[in-house]
Order: sequence, then C-alpha cells, then structure tokens
Amino acid sequence: MSAVSEAIEAGDLPGRVWMYANYNCNLACTYCLTESAPGVPKRGLSAGEMIRIATEAAELGFTDIGVTGGEPFLLAHLPTTLATIAEILPTFCLSNATLFNDKRLDTLDVLAGKDFAIQISLDSPDPDVNDEMRGPENFAKVVEAIPKLIDRGIRVRIATTTEPGRLDDDDHARLCALHRSLGISDDDHLVRPIVNRGRAVDFGLGTTFTPEEIPAELCITADGAFWSPFGPTVLNGRVDTDLLVSRQTAPLSVPAELLRRAVMGRPHGDDVKIGIR
Amino acid sequence: MARVELITQATAPLLARDYFADGDPGPIAAALAQVPELLDVAMPFLGAALGPSSIPLRPKELVILRTSALMQCRYCVAAHTPVATDAGLDHDEVAALRDEMDIEAAFTDPAELALLRWVDAVATGKGRVDDAVAEGLAAHWPEHNIVELTVLVGATMLLNRFCSALELPSSDETLQRLARDGFA
Repeated sequence: MSAVSEAIEAGDLPGRVWMYANYNCNLACTYCLTESAPGVPKRGLSAGEMIRIATEAAELGFTDIGVTGGEPFLLAHLPTTLATIAEILPTFCLSNATLFNDKRLDTLDVLAGKDFAIQISLDSPDPDVNDEMRGPENFAKVVEAIPKLIDRGIRVRIATTTEPGRLDDDDHARLCALHRSLGISDDDHLVRPIVNRGRAVDFGLGTTFTPEEIPAELCITADGAFWSPFGPTVLNGRVDTDLLVSRQTAPLSVPAELLRRAVMGRPHGDDVKIGIR
Repeated sequence: MARVELITQATAPLLARDYFADGDPGPIAAALAQVPELLDVAMPFLGAALGPSSIPLRPKELVILRTSALMQCRYCVAAHTPVATDAGLDHDEVAALRDEMDIEAAFTDPAELALLRWVDAVATGKGRVDDAVAEGLAAHWPEHNIVELTVLVGATMLLNRFCSALELPSSDETLQRLARDGFA
C-alpha cells in the first residue's frame, strides 16, 4: 500500500480527484473562479488525459472524481469520456446546463445508469436574481434541462453559490421547493459560499480562506496540479500559483505524493537556510 | 526586468513557501518557484554544490566567479564578486577572475592556477579535457575534491545559462556593493 493510499484510507488526504476539463465557457458569471467566458483559451484536458488520471487515481486509492471547468460540456468528447471514467470511479461533473438541447441530450445517453451525477448551478428561486450573476435566460434553461436529464436516467445535483445574507430563509425554502419539484432530493442540494478569487475579486464578492480551511483535494489542470479546485483560479488572465502543487501531473503519483507531503507536513531541511541568491 | 514572472511571497506555491519565509529569496528561487517540484530538488542540489562544503570557500568562489565570467553571466558575476571578496580574494584576484586582468598576474599559487586551467578547459572546451590540464589538477587536488569542483563548474554553468537566458535582475544591494568595491 502506498503512502498516498494509506493517507486516503486514514482520512488525512481527501479521496476526491478533480479535473479542470477546460477553462472556456458559454457564460461569464460574476463570481467565476477562473474568469471563464466565451473566447478565453480552452486549456483543456484531452479524453486520454482524463481517463489516464481516473485510472491512476483508482490505482492510488482515490475514491471519486469531480470534473469541472469552464463549461465541460463544450468539449465534444466529454459524454463518452465521463462514461468511461464513471466505470473506473464514481464521478460527477459540474455544468451550467444551458447547452442541453435535444441533440446534446442524446449524447448523454451513454451516462444513463452509470455511477455518475451532473451538478448544476442554480443560485436563486427567482429568475432575475439568478440571472443577474449567471446571465440572461440561465434560470429558464436550467429548470427546463433538469427534468430531461432525470428522465434520461442521469442523477442531478444542484449547487447554489451565494453571498452570506443574499439567500434568506424564505428564498432558501422556495429554492428547495423548486428543486424538489424538479425531482431533486435535499441530499442532492448543496449551498456554498462565493469565494473571493477569480472574477469575484473584480466584483468585490466572496469570502477569503487559507489552505488549511479548504479540503486538500488534488486538482489536475492543463497548468499543473493544485490544492483543491479553488486553487487554479485565474485573475487578470493569469493562473494563480499560491495553491499550485506541481506542474507535473503525469504520473498522478507525483502530484499526489507532493500533496500528501504538504498535507502531512515535513521537516525543514538545511536547503531552506542556505539562501542562494 | 526578468523574462519570466518572479514569484513573490504572496504568490508562492505551497511547497515553495519555505523559501519565502524570510521574504524575497532572490530571483533564482523566485523564478524556479514557478515549478515547485523542480525548486524542491534544485535548491538543495545547488546549495550542496555551491554552498559550504569540505572544500574551503576561497577555491569554490574562485571556480564560481571564473566560470561565470567565462560564460559571460552578468547576474552571477555581479552576485559573486562580493562573495569572492568576502572569501578572502583581493581586488586583483577578483578582477582577474572577472576577466579584467591577466590570471597569471594575479595568481601565483600552483594549486589555484591548476584549478583555474581546469575551470577554463571544462567551461569553455568541448569533448575530453586535455591530459596535461587534468594531470596538473591531480598534482594538487585529491580526487574527491576534483569531483566536487567539477560538479561546481557544471552547476555554475547551469545557473549562468539560466540567469542569462531569463535575464534575472541583480539586486540593488549587490549593485551598491559592487560600486563600493570598485567593480561597477
């Protein structure tokens, strides 16, 4: 058993591995961590890379896979790639669900019945409030897509991203009533804070955190491996490096071991005292 | 202005933060921090090769400054001119190592001259090093010193090309010290 798998089994290292499938998106949300938008460089992972990461993650003892972006479903290969990955480890993929016309929904049939879920963003029970941060017609497209996905045998989760106080008790109750009416249980609804990174900085939104305050979930991107999916954020077109673990991502054991060392702590060596200038 | 972003304390990756604990670690570490897993192995190696060891500081700085001058590395020559002075080399010796005067006019110790001929051959030559140069070195230095000093030439050349190619900037402190010592 490797040190990484022991750390996962002991609960010292989270079992989830994230992948940033891409950075481009058809939306430009005000709180986007990665400044994603139409026209930004894709910086995507190939199908082969994603399957390789999932395969190695399983071998290392990781327990599940999260896929995010950008809008991952802009990648044509994604449905079949996710179907392959879901055969390896339980998988979920974040999406804004605004691309799911009938033609694209047909491509998702390969995911039906798999150990897979799509996590869709829905930030308010009120269309105008939701669309203020996520863009025009977002609410309408999401509530239209969710039942269609469920009808096709795909599990759907809802993620609500919000500022403290923005969603009061009444809003929360109406939002829960809405997701229940769409066929989504309370267990599949999560509420999370906006994080003050990426475009949220420009809009003065979100809360700040230290690495110790977020799970050390290994996150693989085209730019390297990071501590948590909140790591590879983008500000003014540059990827933040403060939560960078390594540029090397293959084999996965390299960043996994470096992350384990960062999590477990390590003694300071003389190398930090020499001060080569 | 360096050709790449120099990582700061605020942007330092997790595994590089030890190097920024006391502030600016200098441009070499700040550039390498863009690839933290490389920084993690490169700095201990560079520290072992260039830092204190069983060989006294004077011959090590002699090697580093001479190699840097031969490689025309502005950053390394500037950084190691004060270090060489602090290691006990006089003004003429430092000037000679910087290629500003004749080596044999500044150095008389046969062991140091043999070492400098070795440095010149290793740093600027191609293919095998001439037997006479190697035998001259072996007459004055034990084998384990030859191994370490040859690694030192190579490690310095690595840094020379790295610093030159990326145009790493000298610190104001270094430039002021050079001016004070008459090497501006």
